[in-house]
Amino acid sequence: MTVDVRNDGVLVEGLSRRYGQIRALDGLNLNLERGITGLLGPNGAGKSTLMSVLATVNEPDTGQVSVFGLNPRNGGERVEIRRRLGYLPQELGYHRHFTVAAFLDYVAILKEIVGRRRRAEEVARVLALVGMERFGRRRIRGLSGGFRQRLAIAQALLGSPELLILDEPTAGLDTEQRLRFRELLSNLPGDPVIVLSTHQADDIAAICPRVVVMLDGQVRFAGTPAALAESAAGHVWTADQRNESAHLSWRDGDARWRHIGDHPPADHEAAKPTVEDGYLMLSQTKEA
Amino acid sequence: MTLSFSGATGPTAGASWHPSDDDLAGYANGAADGVAAWSVESHLGACASCRSAVSAQADGEQLARNRAVLLALVAIPDGGRLRRLVCRCGIPDHLLSLLTATSSLRRSWLLAVVGVLAVVTGEAVLVQHLWPGGGPPGMTWHPGAAELAPFLLVGPLLVLAGVAAAFMPAMDPSYRLAVAAPFSGLTLLLVRSVSALVAALLPVVCAAFVMPGPSWLPAAVLLPSLAVCALALAAVTTVGPVAAVVAAGALWVVPVVWLAAARSSLEVVQGHGQALCAVVFVAAVLVVFVRRDRLEMGWVQQ
Repeated sequence: MTVDVRNDGVLVEGLSRRYGQIRALDGLNLNLERGITGLLGPNGAGKSTLMSVLATVNEPDTGQVSVFGLNPRNGGERVEIRRRLGYLPQELGYHRHFTVAAFLDYVAILKEIVGRRRRAEEVARVLALVGMERFGRRRIRGLSGGFRQRLAIAQALLGSPELLILDEPTAGLDTEQRLRFRELLSNLPGDPVIVLSTHQADDIAAICPRVVVMLDGQVRFAGTPAALAESAAGHVWTADQRNESAHLSWRDGDARWRHIGDHPPADHEAAKPTVEDGYLMLSQTKEA
Repeated sequence: MTLSFSGATGPTAGASWHPSDDDLAGYANGAADGVAAWSVESHLGACASCRSAVSAQADGEQLARNRAVLLALVAIPDGGRLRRLVCRCGIPDHLLSLLTATSSLRRSWLLAVVGVLAVVTGEAVLVQHLWPGGGPPGMTWHPGAAELAPFLLVGPLLVLAGVAAAFMPAMDPSYRLAVAAPFSGLTLLLVRSVSALVAALLPVVCAAFVMPGPSWLPAAVLLPSLAVCALALAAVTTVGPVAAVVAAGALWVVPVVWLAAARSSLEVVQGHGQALCAVVFVAAVLVVFVRRDRLEMGWVQQ
């Protein structure tokens, strides 16, 4: 299905952003359709900068951004984008004296949900979504890291946003919580545009129909997780001994060496590449 | 909605009164307000017939949702008597909720302000008590002025610090959420800043009443305090918040210190000083108005 992302998604063209001498985004082009798009990349690749630009927190030096056909440089359209936005920044700080409900109530007001009862309904709804129904009166400073991260996800879901920008939402979550998070994202109503930045390649493989790999402020890959994995085909092999010519080598669960490299030995035992392999191959190619 | 326990639904073992049919219907469809809903909620635990009546009007999922909303309503703080009083004066409840994230309106901050003022005021009162005739022997003394210098220096700076803490991103751990939200950045900044201004000005003016200076001193500190804060807000539309606050503070400190050393610190809040503060205040307010888009875009850029 062909989608006109200018009106129904997010379109980024020639986006650049510098911080002093550091070029965080370098002429980046990207289309984001409805559904979940995973964003992979090493630290410093520009993922968080891209997300903050999409969230209208940061202004690009050059380039164009269109969110549902709206231009964030225009004051009125920027506010309209913010009305449709749910944003989880990478390092979300909390007013530690807040209770969970008070914090969500505060964010709900910022999202222009004014009536007290309407806010309570939204607070109750998002608390239920992240499994924290009984935490409303708990102080944030008394929560564990995992529950704080769930609270951070909950605030992003207030107002049922059409554009959900989640910067490393699974950081600090245990395995069960990550699985619940995947379930939550997969079942969100309204088919929102979701941009999910993570270092967990298995999260991408599990729930993202599309994946974007960013390196040095540019998009190096955009496609399906299967295509990313396939890009490493012929470059992943296993062996009993470590091969020095490989870019990366580590012992797998069977105590065999798994290698990623450009030139597998002639007698190599090819392995089925994963999304992580595809990503590692891309990043190693860039370093080489 | 007023809850009337009319006994309309008939007696049941363990309960001598019962919510009316309207109350039960309101609870079932989620329309009952907090007090009424909680009353029904607590009654249902002990009354099988009312539970049946409610179950007949709504499914379990709807009732669970209503209960979750009820719990959220209770968990969201209402701010107590003071807030209800302010609400009655016409200030919208949601604006007051936004103030809960303002550091300089927290009790610990205000206590620190009062503490600093107590030290400064106590020192001035002590000096006047020890040397009622005009200062220690051998020192050049400007009657009624020298002991005021620390207060005149610190008073407006305390107000400035309160306002700065209200708008500086570094003082708001979740400021990125505020920036990315549709709520007007300018409104948020002004609501917080004006509240912090009032909260800090009150103890400063009260301290001025206790100071051993002229009787017009409490009124005289108002305009300089306003001017310094407005200057900082105007500057923040152009430079970073730290630079803006430091510059505004310096523009107050330098003349006060210079006048205290050369002539009389009291001059800074007298005739020409007040006129200058008025000009600065008006100019700064104009700048904030003209450049308000800078504050709307990303609240305050770090």
